[in-house]
Amino acid sequence: MVLLSMILVPVLAAPFAYIGERINRNIPKYLSLAVAIFLALCTVYLLVNRPESGFGFEEFYAIYPPFDFNLHLAVDGISITLLAITAFLAITVTLSSWNVEKPGAFFALVLVFLGPMVGVFASLNLLWFFIFWEFTLVPMFFHIGIWGAENRIYAAMKFFIYTHLASVFLLLGIIVLYLNTHSFEFVELLKKSAALDPSVVKLIWILMFIGFAVKMPVVPFHTWLPDAHVQAPSPISVFLAGLLLKMGAYGLLRWEIFLFPQATKFFAPLMAVIAILTIFYAGFRALAEDHIKRMVAYSSINHMGFVLLGLSALTAAGISSALYEMVGHALIISILFMIAGYIHHKTHTWYISELGGLMKKIPGLMTMFVIGVLAAVGLPGTAGFVGELTVMLAAFDYYGWVMIIVPLASALSAGFFMWMLQRAVFGPLRESFKELKSLKELPFVENLALAMYIAAFIFVGIVPSVVFNLYNGSVDIFAQLFK
Amino acid sequence: MNVNFLAAIMILALTGAFLPVINRIFRISGILGAIIASAGYVLSGFLVLLSEKGGTILSNFFVSDGVTQLLGLLILVASWMTMLVVYWVTEKDKFVNELIGALLISTAGALLLISATNFVSLVIAMELMTMPTYLMVLFAFDERSIEAGVKYFFNGALAIGTMLFGISLLYAVTGSFEFKVLAKELFKDPLVLLGAVLIFAGFAFKITAFPFHFWGPDVYEGTCPGVAALLTGITKSAAFIALMRVIYEALPAVSENFTFILALLAAITMTVGNLLALAQKKVSRILAYSSVAHAGYTLIAFAALSVPLSVTGILYHSAAYVFMKTAAFLCFAVFLFVWGAKTMDDYKGLGRREPVLAVLFLIFLLSLAGVPPMAGFISKVFVFAAAVDAGMTWLALVGLINSAFSVAYYIWIAKQMFLEEPTLERPVNAPSNKKFIVVPLAVMAAFLIVLGIWLGPVVNVSHLFALQVGF
Repeated sequence: MVLLSMILVPVLAAPFAYIGERINRNIPKYLSLAVAIFLALCTVYLLVNRPESGFGFEEFYAIYPPFDFNLHLAVDGISITLLAITAFLAITVTLSSWNVEKPGAFFALVLVFLGPMVGVFASLNLLWFFIFWEFTLVPMFFHIGIWGAENRIYAAMKFFIYTHLASVFLLLGIIVLYLNTHSFEFVELLKKSAALDPSVVKLIWILMFIGFAVKMPVVPFHTWLPDAHVQAPSPISVFLAGLLLKMGAYGLLRWEIFLFPQATKFFAPLMAVIAILTIFYAGFRALAEDHIKRMVAYSSINHMGFVLLGLSALTAAGISSALYEMVGHALIISILFMIAGYIHHKTHTWYISELGGLMKKIPGLMTMFVIGVLAAVGLPGTAGFVGELTVMLAAFDYYGWVMIIVPLASALSAGFFMWMLQRAVFGPLRESFKELKSLKELPFVENLALAMYIAAFIFVGIVPSVVFNLYNGSVDIFAQLFK
Repeated sequence: MNVNFLAAIMILALTGAFLPVINRIFRISGILGAIIASAGYVLSGFLVLLSEKGGTILSNFFVSDGVTQLLGLLILVASWMTMLVVYWVTEKDKFVNELIGALLISTAGALLLISATNFVSLVIAMELMTMPTYLMVLFAFDERSIEAGVKYFFNGALAIGTMLFGISLLYAVTGSFEFKVLAKELFKDPLVLLGAVLIFAGFAFKITAFPFHFWGPDVYEGTCPGVAALLTGITKSAAFIALMRVIYEALPAVSENFTFILALLAAITMTVGNLLALAQKKVSRILAYSSVAHAGYTLIAFAALSVPLSVTGILYHSAAYVFMKTAAFLCFAVFLFVWGAKTMDDYKGLGRREPVLAVLFLIFLLSLAGVPPMAGFISKVFVFAAAVDAGMTWLALVGLINSAFSVAYYIWIAKQMFLEEPTLERPVNAPSNKKFIVVPLAVMAAFLIVLGIWLGPVVNVSHLFALQVGF
């Protein structure tokens, strides 16, 4: 019942959050926080009792057995890791939206978003995975469209149509897979997929990959993301980067790499090329970007390139490092998005060339920004370092010396971040900012949310084994597939 | 002999026939008429529920099976909701009881149509369903109603004429009208092919499939949206089921020849429907063209007739469609009546003015778009799966991409309702009691979500039907 309640409680709480606003403005945020803490407690329970390897906490609700259309929930170490991110981000996002406008609708949509998100990571039935996957679009559409920046409506429409179109390819892949195996169940598919015709498998692989690649997103399927990120309110950018993109990587891992090891081996070089292309393209775009949030968005794409690179190295080390990079990315990119949003809120400009000397006026917030940036660049002692390093080592291991070019991308990312810091945060304070009343430190609750990110990514950066231990057992099983 | 199903239809038809008569004699008010009609619906619904599965009615003219029971109930519920909205919109009109009476008779025709297993009874049922709707479309809703009514009448007459000619050709060759008898004959005669083409063309008129779709949007726009809900939801869905019986029960061998043409028509119908829907400014026309597109999706399942999954696709899509389309038009009807909202611009900010209704409308639109967990999603999955299973992956891909692009206009309506600033200031009509409308619509929305997850009922019925027709 744990997993089902993690899906249902947020969804069922949503109407109360919406109606609650009419009684008292504070009810929605406390309700959302309560649900987020509930998710966190459930995750702690899952973490403590997690299985050594394979799946645990199995729940099976027969809905229509003849078609294998059953709500089958279970989690392994990989899922639990992502559920932990979900719960963590649920808390921090609630805290950082503490003073949002129209809190009733906002938090109701947050809750409607969280339920299916848990479902995506916990579902072992492919059709249910898709149902949860697709439904997350609806709350996200309204979040971007109602609470976003100036071009929010354009961004929301583009986001919905683009990602829905991608899901269509995923759905077609699922249909073709079903008609060849007559199963939606992960474990069944794992048994049956080896016997499939290789050409069919390749077709399915490509169809599903398009769906996952758009969500991740990787070049050239990334164009929806900068728009969505720039227009979304910052807490929602956190959900986008921290959870929605992870859905893509998780889907790729769970439903493609593990199901079709042979086809994946065949396509692995393609994945690696796309990954390197993504890393460099996004890096150069970020370097050229003057818009601070778009720069962070491109750096997010850059990091997802590392995740794909890790996944494409079909070894236990590659997959573990990709998962670690996902955790690190969720924590680091979230703080960067939040602070980029705050900077705009306080200075009323997005453009790096119009900023300067912010450290002098708001040192507390800017210190956290600098820490976040350093983590993103890969400073040892933070999650960013461990993630990039392990991905690179795994890639070297698998592809050999060709991967020598990847470290150059790290230099690139150090370049654009440092240049941004130099122009926006340090240096002399701009004249126009001297009298600006809005330029002051954040209230306590929002600082708390930021401090939580920093504590988390430093903690997992110093003791990376905490994260690796979560899913080592599960990854090892799958690594056997590629032997 | 299956008395219950026949009795259900009789009760509905008689209630419909006597309502205007009672009105003439006793001058009953609209609300009393609505109550009498509701009693008719409830009674008839119980009888459909109790009807035995597998019985024939009136010596092989009609049949009562799982399909009639399932679709019968859905049609009754959808029609009841339509009645409530029609009553609510035309409450003060002196013809309200006549309108409701016509609606009841038309629904009785739809019930009869889904159970027809003989070309004679098929035509009779189709005309019983259609005749009252000519009257209803002509019902003076606004200045365009006359044009719409005339257009609808001529198209309907043309459709039935075409179909009758096709049926007579079949009769000339085989000497029978009965589906089961026809199915046993192995045809080599070109006349039979021609007959089948003409029958399909007649159906294409009814379901607004390309190239016979032109009347649809004009008529749906020109008439009272409650009537449009009946036309585009209930009668079309009943026609889908009748076509399913014709193809699988009467002409399976002949239809095999048409799979490619059906596939092509499906692809063109949905593409045309979606492209034209994207170009519209009026919400009623968007919904009308989306209904054309949905005829295309259903035709995909018809084109995949060689696999049993196609039956599931047709049935599931018809079952979901009757609810989502009827309900979407009813939401539109309420917005039109209360706010005078016709165009996309009028829909700006309506979500703020009517939050509950707008959220319901959103659910129906998402279901039409095929977003899970609404029933429209799972029904499309079945349709596309049938196409892939029948070896027409290209058609499934065309359908899926169409479906993905159709999201653009559905979500555009959602965008206007929820993301834009309101333009309309105050309602043009003060609604007397909104709960009267909102509660039934909410029930339909809940039904759609349940139908989207709980596959059992529809799929079991479709399995039985597939077995019955020899898969």
